[in-house]
Formats: sequence, C-alpha cells, structure tokens
Amino acid sequence: MNTDISIGTGNPIDRVEGRLKVMGLAKYASEFNVKNLAYAQGINSTIAKGTITAIDTSEAEKQKGVIKVLTYKNADKLKQYDEELPAISTSSIQPVLQSADVHYYGEYVGLVIAETFEQAQYAASLVKYTYSEEKPDIDFDSSRAKAYRPTEKSDYSRGDISQGLAEADVTLEQIYNTPIEHHHPMELHAIIASWNNGNVEAYASQQIIDDATLTIADTFQIEKKNVRVIAPFVGGGFGSKLHAKQHVILGVMASKQLGRPVQMTVTRNQMFTNTNLRQRNEQKIQVGAKSDGSLTALSHDTLSHTSTYEEFQESCGTVTKMLYKTPNNKVRHRLMPMNLQTPFAMRAPGEATGSFALESAMDEMAWKLKMDPVDFRVKNDTQVDPSSDKPFSSRLLNECLKIGAKEFGWEDRPQKPGTKEEGNWLVGYGVSGASRRAPYQKTSAKVILELKDSEVFATIQMDATDIGTGSYTIIAQTASEYLNIPVAQVDVELGDSDFPKTLGSGGSWGAASFSNGARAACENAIASLEEKSGLKIADAGLAKLMRSGNLTSFEAEGTAEPDEEFKNHSVFSFGANFTEVWVDKDTGVFRIKRMLNVASCGKILNPKTAFGQIIGGCVMGAGMVIAEQTKVEPNYGNFITRSFADYHVPVNLDMANIDVIFLPEEDKIANKMGIKGVGELGITSVAASIANAIFNATGKRMRDLPITPEKLIVAEKEPGVA
Amino acid sequence: MRPFTYTQPKTIEEALTASVTNSDSKYLGGGTNLVDLMKEDVERPSQIIEVADLDFNTITSNDTGGFTLGAMLSNSETANHPDIRKNYPLLSMAMLSAATAQIRNMATNGGNLLQRTRCPYFFEVSMPCNKREPGSGCGALEGANSKHAIFGWSESCVATHPSDMCVALAALEATVTLQKPGGTSRTIEFTDFHRLPGDQPEKDNTMLPGEIITAIDLPSPKFQSNYHYLKIRERSSYAFALISVAAGLQISGGKITDIGLAMGGVAHKPWKLIKAEAFLTGKMPTKANFEQAAELALRDAKTLSDNEYKVTMGKKAIVRALEQALAKTA
Repeated sequence: MNTDISIGTGNPIDRVEGRLKVMGLAKYASEFNVKNLAYAQGINSTIAKGTITAIDTSEAEKQKGVIKVLTYKNADKLKQYDEELPAISTSSIQPVLQSADVHYYGEYVGLVIAETFEQAQYAASLVKYTYSEEKPDIDFDSSRAKAYRPTEKSDYSRGDISQGLAEADVTLEQIYNTPIEHHHPMELHAIIASWNNGNVEAYASQQIIDDATLTIADTFQIEKKNVRVIAPFVGGGFGSKLHAKQHVILGVMASKQLGRPVQMTVTRNQMFTNTNLRQRNEQKIQVGAKSDGSLTALSHDTLSHTSTYEEFQESCGTVTKMLYKTPNNKVRHRLMPMNLQTPFAMRAPGEATGSFALESAMDEMAWKLKMDPVDFRVKNDTQVDPSSDKPFSSRLLNECLKIGAKEFGWEDRPQKPGTKEEGNWLVGYGVSGASRRAPYQKTSAKVILELKDSEVFATIQMDATDIGTGSYTIIAQTASEYLNIPVAQVDVELGDSDFPKTLGSGGSWGAASFSNGARAACENAIASLEEKSGLKIADAGLAKLMRSGNLTSFEAEGTAEPDEEFKNHSVFSFGANFTEVWVDKDTGVFRIKRMLNVASCGKILNPKTAFGQIIGGCVMGAGMVIAEQTKVEPNYGNFITRSFADYHVPVNLDMANIDVIFLPEEDKIANKMGIKGVGELGITSVAASIANAIFNATGKRMRDLPITPEKLIVAEKEPGVA
Repeated sequence: MRPFTYTQPKTIEEALTASVTNSDSKYLGGGTNLVDLMKEDVERPSQIIEVADLDFNTITSNDTGGFTLGAMLSNSETANHPDIRKNYPLLSMAMLSAATAQIRNMATNGGNLLQRTRCPYFFEVSMPCNKREPGSGCGALEGANSKHAIFGWSESCVATHPSDMCVALAALEATVTLQKPGGTSRTIEFTDFHRLPGDQPEKDNTMLPGEIITAIDLPSPKFQSNYHYLKIRERSSYAFALISVAAGLQISGGKITDIGLAMGGVAHKPWKLIKAEAFLTGKMPTKANFEQAAELALRDAKTLSDNEYKVTMGKKAIVRALEQALAKTA
C-alpha cells in the first residue's frame, strides 16, 4: 500500500493510504459492490410533537421499482429502553419505528425500499402522513422550568464557592452561549446491511466497530458474535459516528424483511436531523480573584437540552474543575427535555464549548485585574489536578503560553482595547489556554509476519478505524519501529469486527491506544521468536530470528492497557492558542489574520498528520465563532439551516495562516510510548482566543457564538472601555 | 426527484414553442438554482427546456454606445470579459463576489436574474410560504426573519432577492430584453423587471408566461473610475449578502455629476436608492453628505422582529461603499 522506506515513528511521512484515497480505491461504506442491492430512503416527520393518525402508502407502493414501505405498523419489534430518558452511550440500543409518536421535527417515520436510490427517494415523497399535532417544547427560555439534574455526577464542588467569592477583590459573573452545531463529516452516514439467517454483515460508517456490533445485536436481540461490521475507511466522524444511529438499525431491518442486502444513506439534509448534534449550552461563569491575580473561586453552571426520549449531557464544566488552581469550585449541569433530536458528543465535547466560556471569563478577569491575560493564566497554574488531587502526568500549559507569546509577538498586543488601527480595520490579539483529557483504552492487535527473500513483511490487524486522522499511517510507523523494518514492509488492516478489539476512534484516544496495541503485538511476536531461536533481535535482526526457527510466517497478538501509573495520575494534553483579528470599524465583519497553536500532547508519531489534526481543529474552532449555528424555527421546531448554503462553515479565505508548534515531550506516565491525544486539543479554546482578540480590537465583549456581522455591528463597547 | 421530460431545442423558436405545449415547463440555464430547488421538491416542473446552448452567449456593442450581454453567457465569462472589466468594473466586482467559481462557471446571466429567494420557508415544503404555495401563509413574517426584507415587503411575503449581479445592474440602469412565444420581443427597464410581493408573492418578476430573457443591455460605459460593490456576509466567500451596496460615482469639478446606488439583501427586488441618488447628485462627495444620504435611504425601512440590525448595517454599508468608490480613483 505504501512505499515509504523510513523506519519508525516521528517522521512526517505521507499517509500510507493516501494513494488509495486519491485513486478512489479507498472504499467508504456505501461504495462496496454488494450484489442484488436494494436502496432505502428514510421519511422524516413534518411535525415536532404529536401522533401519527393515518398513513397512506398507496401512491408510493404503486411506483415503479418500489419493493416495500416500512412504518411503525409493519416494522420489526425491537428492544425498547428499560427506563424513561435513558442516558445514551456509544453502544446503546437504537429502537426506531416502534410507535406512532413523534418526538421531534425530522424524526424517521418511515422507510421506502426500492430497486434504485432515485425510485426510493421519489416514492418516499409520496407517502402521506396525517398527524394529531401537539404544541412542541422547542423554546429554550420557556423550557427552563423543566430543567433537571441528569446524574449525581452532574454536580461537583470543592471548598465553598460563596466564601471564595466573598474573599475576592475582583469578581465576575457572566453568561456565555453556544448554539446547536452539527458535525457534518464529508462522508455521509451510510450502511449496506445483509441479514442472512440471523447473521448480520454490515458495511457501516462508524468510528467504533465493536460498539456498532453491540448496538445492532442488542437492538435486534441477537448474539453479538453473529454481527460483523466492516469500515476500512471512514470519511470523518467528529463524534457523529461514535454510536450506530437509527439508520443503521433501519438498514438491517430492511434487509431482514426483504431477504436481500439493503443500502441506506443518510442525505446531507438528514444529517441535520437524523444523526447527531452538539446541544445549545447556556453557561454561567462566576470568578473571584485577589488583586494579585490568584483565583479564589470558579463556578460553572451549564443549562442545556436533551430529547424527550434519550438523555445526553455535554460536560461543559469539566474544564473548570481542573484547569486552574483555585480552592473553591462549583460545577453544575442541568438538562431540559425538548422536542429536538438527542444531542451527542461532538469534537471535544465539553471542552470545546466549556473552554469558550471559561477562557473568555479568564480574559474578562485579566482585563478587570489590569493583568496581562498570559500572566494571569500562568499565575494560576497547578501541577496537581485540583479535582482529583492526582498529579498531572505532565503539564506544560505555562510553557505553551510563554513560548506561544514569544513566537506570536504578544508584546505587540495593544494594551488598551480599540487602539490599534490599520486603515478601516481595528487590530486585536487574543489568547486562550487549552486542555483536553488524554484517555488511553485497552487495545488488542495482531501481527502477522512473513519472510520473503530474507525480508520480513508485517501485517497489523485490529478493529480500529481511520476516520481521516491517519491511524493507518501511525500504526504502520509504530510496527516499523518495534519490528525495525521499513514502513513500506508494513501493511495495516483496520475496521473489521473480525479483527482484535479496540475502542475505535473517539475522545482523542485513538493514537495512544492503537499504537500501544500494535506495539504490544510486535513485542510479543519478538519475545516468542527470541525464545524459540535463542537469539536476540538486537543482534540478529527479525529475518534471522524467523529463519533460525524455520519459519516463513508467524503470528502473535498483544494487548495494551492503562497501568497503575496512568491511573494514579491525571492525564491531559495542553495547549495555547494565539489569534490576531482585524475587525472592520463599521460593517460588523472581522477577519482572522493569523493564528498560532502551541500543543503539548506527548510524543508526536507523525508531525504531518498531527499538524493536520491541529489545524483542522483550529478551523472547526474558528467555525464556532464565524458562523456555525443550527437555528430552530421558533413556531414549528424544524431547523431552518439545513444545507451547506445556510449552515456556514469557514472557507479558505476565512482562515489565513495557522502555525502549529508541538512542544517536544514524551509522557511515559501516560503510556509506554509517551503518546497523548491530538485530535480534539486543536478545537479547544480557539473560540475564546478569537473572541478575546475581538475584544482587544474593539472593546466589545462577544459572549454569544457565533459572532456574526448582525451581532457585532450592534454590540456596545464594554463599560469602562474608552 | 419527480419525473420530468427533458428537451433540448436548437433554436429559441423551438424553445418558445415547447413551453406553449406544456404550461408546467421550466427553462434550464446553468441549473445552479433550479436543480437545487427540484431536489428540495420546491420546483416541480414536468418539462425541462434546456436553453443554455442557444445563441445568446456573446457580448457585443449596442446602439446606445453600451454593450449587450447574452442571456445564456455564464457569469464567469461575463464578469471576466475585457469589455466588461474595462467599461463596467462595478458589474464585474459584484458578479465575482457571488457564490463560488464553480457556480459562476455554470450560472447564466438570464438565470441570475431569475434566481429565487433563499428564504428558509420557501425552501422547506412542509412550511407555509405564499411564494411557493399561494394562500398557505408567510412563515417568516412572525418566524425566523433575521435575513429578510426591510423595504417593500407585504404581509404575504418578506423574502429578499439574493442576487449580487442584479444590484449592480440596478445601479447601472440596465435594460432587459424578453422574447415571448410568437416571436415578438420587448425591452424593459431593469428596475421594472423584478417586482414587490404585494398580494402575489408567487411572482418574482414581471415576465409573462413562456417568455425568455435574451439579453441584458448596459448603457454607455459608467463609473469606470469610482465604483465599489460592498458585500456584508457571514463568511468571506460562498455566502449570500446580509446587506450589499453597489455604488458608482461620476465626479466632475469636485461634485458628483452622476451616481448609481443600489442595495441587495433588503427587498424582494434589487433596491435602487433613488432618494439618496437624488440627494447626492450635484453635491460634494464628502463623508457628511454620504451619511446624510444613508440616513435618507434608510428612513423608510420597516423592520421585522429579527432584522433591526439591517438598518444600522445598511447605513454603514452605504457610507462605506461610497467612500471606497471615491477612494478608488483609477
């Protein structure tokens, strides 16, 4: 698959699967050539709350090519939730089409299966539904009375927050808002499902293969070993593909009913209503500090929404528990059940949104204290996680801030907001600190060694996924390092539930987990071969070890998992983001002129793919500020931004120059290879960095994302700004 | 997508005849708007008549000393044409601020005039919309209307026209030539081409059934030195204007002798700022005068629940566009 002759990790090599991708040979879920395929098209509800009273499928069924119309009346009976409002995880069941009830606008209420995609899509528009409509809960403000505490863990406190605020010389209380956002990976969610005598085989675009098999098995009440899920390439996920959503179940159900394979693709429009979203969060932050800048209190209350049938909480307050030293801390999360779809994890859930609130508030405090925002953060550093009293495995936040400030030219920052001009533009600098938990998951892998003409070729197998992040490449580099053979002699096979088990891609644990899993398999192979041959690899090399045992092929498995050291520490990646913005004096438009992201995230396996992760995160973070928002129609509850023409993500012109600095680091407490996550660190706190730069440029404090021209043009300067 | 027939007439007469045989027809230029709307089930023609390859794809001199733009010529070819860049840089600038290079390569000049509103209620067939389904009501009037009109709207429709090109054409005082079945053609002022919604918002313009736009005529070259198209939008490219202003100035002896000023994103049609134009004609091009003109221009604005910001933005945009036009002396 690749021709790279380098050995080991740390080199900025091209993606090993890059050639397949540009040649169109890297197949995504819906691209597999499965014979006798039928096509399914989901039908969406056109009310937000109520009951289906009648369904007329006659027109649809008459159409050429239509095989079947599925509704709640003829759907398979699936496992139901045991409780009301169950908290959902990445392996929860996904019952669908089980009743006449409608919970939100756009919910699946039916499925048309036809010989072609076009036939299915047209027929789907002909199925007529009659509803008994009820007034939906779609208004955030009027749902406040329904707010509840999801779990005991939704609340946290240490010290006494009131006392901390009372002791403070300077205090702040502000509310920060982030809107509903959508993931929108390039590859649409899709499945090709084949049901065969109780066995399921599915090509499905999922981030966690093992959990997808669990969701299918549990929902249909069949054994997990009878379910195989395959996803060798996943075209992005950002969290939306962590959990096998309803379309996966619908595809399998359709195949079961038809007795033939069925493809179901979620359309771009349906990606807004039928996959996942990041919920709207209203975050109240209270801060107290002594006049020397030492924090006395930090409080973070989050109000958000879930659906009326499933529960998901984005833990925005997580970051406030651990990022700064403060004796008094209070964190609360509340949810309101509303007639909107169930939210779920989106890139850096909690941190991306929570750090916007916290790091904006830190900037506001620094201004009140007349301190430099870099100095204010440095002053409140802690090497012990105050929320767990465990030492950080490594924490280079101060270094990120200081090195970043130097490289960025932070000393040129205007001291007073609104004082640096360039023609019609006001120039401002902003900074924010970033943190993201660096999890490490139990991971198994298999290595298959083959000796050909005195060269050893290796194949690594695991059910890990490459969601565009570079998993193939870093796993190949890792195996190359531990086997001491060129990357070109390593083949990597991923994304098949027949392979050894991993927790897939998510939560920034992929790189550390997959690499250590591959390492463990390689180490086991070498140990066995050394034992068999009595030779040492360091002296003899891998080929000689195999030859001396008369082996032309050899297999070994290995499992890596967190050790006691890991558990006794708090393991996070850290970073800092610096932004220069130019804000038009009159029109409400701003431009990001340049951005520097400094990241401390353990050993960098491949600087090229890691760089891609960070700048991708920065762009997504900038999207949060520039324009990304999913708007709920106030009377009917549908999303009025249901295409890329209306849901605005940044364009190239919005993102000028992004520089990334990785601090050299290997965190051997985190794991044996010293790796920490990169995937979500990049997005974390970018929004605050930009918003803080806008304040520095204009004196306007923008606390509601996104910061669109319509908001910026009418915003007033902060009291006290000249 | 619904089934439809597809015809490719070789001449305009054939195209016009085809439209007479089926009143449910749509002419297809670049398809950048019509095809999208068909996918959304908003447009449901039973016959598509492709006109993109008909012989109206040149730019030629006309007898008023100006130029004639063929209706089937692409937006890219028009905006980048040497005669247009030289003689009507305001038009080039406006056209190049629209959409993306890929869309501009496909979109035709006639099609640009006929693009439909971006109102989300118009796009979502399960929502009420008088423009899409007369009599169903206007969802935006009491709904999500931050991007909607502040001028000329009615209780039945508050949508805006999305084009950038048309804002410049209004400022330049172009004319539009139409041909109808039977072969006769007529020419109308550009500002009479689009209409206000009144109680018939389903009609975007004053075209008669079956008519085809064949040409857009520009008067003798205008505003070659002092012009600006200002577009305020949510991202730097590939977004419709929240507010746009096309400004052209002719200055002689320190005074404004001719002016073209029009706004986009504020009404059901490109909004020519006639009062502001009249106020500034004969005056000195000063910021104070620009600000007074902007006040005058926005005086009649009538905002909806979510679009009050457009008044502030509109005033600032007019002043800025005029300042930029003034500063641009070539």
